[in-house]
Amino acid sequence: MASVQAGRLRTYEPGDNTRRFLDLLGSRVSRPLAVSLTACVHCGLCAESCHYFLARPDDPTMTPVWKADQIRKIFKRHVDWAGRVAPWWVKAGSPRDDEELNRLKNIVFGTCSACRRCTYNCPMGVDTGLLVRFTRGLLTELGVVPEGVFNVSRDQWETGNQMAVSEQDYLETLEWMRDDVRTELGDDSVEIPVDKEGCDILYTINPREIKFDPRSIAQAAKIFHLAGESWTMPKWGWDQTNFGLFSGDDKLGAFVARNVYEAAERLRAKRIVISECGHGYRSTRWEGYTWAGFDQKRPTESVVVTLKRYIEAGRIAVDPSKNPDAVTFHDSCNIARSGDLVEEPREVLRRVCADFREMYPNRRENFCCTGGGGLLSMAEYRPLRLEVGKIKADQLRATGAKLVCTMCHNCIDGLNDVIKHYKLPMRVVQVLELVSNALVPPAKGA
Amino acid sequence: MSDFLKILENEVQIAALSFMAIVYILRLAWIFRFRTRRDRTFAAGRGSVGAGYSLLSIAMPRAMESTRKRPGFYAQFVVFHIGVAAAIAGTLIIPYAPGLFERRTVVLLFQGLISGRLCRGDRPARPAPERPGAPQRQLARRLLLPRPPRRLVRLGRAGRPQPAGKRGVAPHRLLRPDGFLPGLRAVLEDLPLPLLSLHPILPGPLARAQGAFPPEQAGRTGRAHGKERA
Repeated sequence: MASVQAGRLRTYEPGDNTRRFLDLLGSRVSRPLAVSLTACVHCGLCAESCHYFLARPDDPTMTPVWKADQIRKIFKRHVDWAGRVAPWWVKAGSPRDDEELNRLKNIVFGTCSACRRCTYNCPMGVDTGLLVRFTRGLLTELGVVPEGVFNVSRDQWETGNQMAVSEQDYLETLEWMRDDVRTELGDDSVEIPVDKEGCDILYTINPREIKFDPRSIAQAAKIFHLAGESWTMPKWGWDQTNFGLFSGDDKLGAFVARNVYEAAERLRAKRIVISECGHGYRSTRWEGYTWAGFDQKRPTESVVVTLKRYIEAGRIAVDPSKNPDAVTFHDSCNIARSGDLVEEPREVLRRVCADFREMYPNRRENFCCTGGGGLLSMAEYRPLRLEVGKIKADQLRATGAKLVCTMCHNCIDGLNDVIKHYKLPMRVVQVLELVSNALVPPAKGA
Repeated sequence: MSDFLKILENEVQIAALSFMAIVYILRLAWIFRFRTRRDRTFAAGRGSVGAGYSLLSIAMPRAMESTRKRPGFYAQFVVFHIGVAAAIAGTLIIPYAPGLFERRTVVLLFQGLISGRLCRGDRPARPAPERPGAPQRQLARRLLLPRPPRRLVRLGRAGRPQPAGKRGVAPHRLLRPDGFLPGLRAVLEDLPLPLLSLHPILPGPLARAQGAFPPEQAGRTGRAHGKERA
């Protein structure tokens, strides 16, 4: 494992891990973390905002405040002067051994999807999602992580993408999708350009699109072609997803984000467009520049914003009657709550769907799909994830919609699991698919 | 007023408030020692607007689902904190502006506010997530959370408007029960509150202002991103 040998990724080694954990904790606390660690008044208002607690209302260990307290008490004991002077007074404590670190791992990886719904409902502004990510980062440094998180992180370090897609697979899939669009439109001029310099748009994707569902690439290519867009995809730096967000590893976050930003620099693209991915959008648009120490120079936007612009400018024509089924929209946590992209997808969906209906609660108050925070890669927590998915299932069922649209690949898998487990008569779609369905091709010769 | 109670209500209160101010300043200095990273992304709006919105969101119960669903809890929160502020203000008014409490309406207002803070209910999450909590919080709860109605009655009796013939009574008697132990308890109620809850309460506004909520998220809903959307 090259990433391990290069010291970029740690494997677990028995030893003085608690001491290393405390050293890392002391050296990494930032001011936003310090205030979130000290600001909680234990009012308990966060509890009912958490889908874990709502699904298990008699279990106080499911409340965000309890989960955050597990790192808070260590912070109090070793960093906060009140806890250092009188630990018993503020109930400060230390992890005693690796078993307790493992227990902490199960809390921060297994019982929280870091959706930050509790943050939005905290009168003190405590960011429990931030604390969970911080703790995950400390444990990742010690190799105390779920196997799935380790594997995906390794793949992203070593291949530049989280699903270890080879360059050959990537390029062949793009050619395959190009040929599909050519056939569909009967137009041999359709291209999926790779490494073309000086384009208006650098389009970056989720490796899941290459590996499991490349139709979304074809849909984007079709729309870009019909809109007359000048675009390209990079040969390296095409993965906009970032497992550093989930594992709390800022070094991995910086590495992956920098790949994308440097691809845009190298190809002199005017704008970076991110395909439909929740954590990819948050990482690439918001967090990555700071992780990478890279000053943002060009606009970075979700493809949904691009689609909205096309529709408003008349660059593509759409007919909502081509999507007659009732559609509801699931806001991805990383896009709505942490990414501030709320109204744009709705504006697009109202233009391309005949029957768009909201689910409740929605927008920034929506519930997680259950697959956030990298939980889809952690098989050991799947039973609990599906159990607490009851909240999402109830929310979906109440809409009566046949299609649930989301602009996140994680949410697709999370929602599919919920739909299957709770036997809901629904199907998951993405905005690109609905826009692609609704396209009115220009008349021949037009 | 007995000399002992006068000391408790005046000098001790002032000393405690000064101590509290010092602790607050030290706490702020300690928090500002932690580093913070420069945000390198394009801003999506004016940071000051977002920060202002976040800081004021505590006064906007409709902005959060948690307080929308529990208006009673929010009302208790407001009454409680106004009562605390009134109690602290009372300790300053008694020695420095006793004339204020010669007015019956002011006395009634303060009675209402101070009594109101004792009507605070329990936490919405059951079982309470902090149970068993730290001794710090246990003591704070014992001192602050609802007490037997007897206490309210006693406080009300002690603070009832005085008959005309007793107008000359020391103002503190309008607010406090007589005697050393009730007086001590009254002082303990006022003083440890900010001290016991000091740690968590102080950084609250900081959490809001320093990016627990990115400022751009707070004050803007779907408006153009400015430079980003240009």
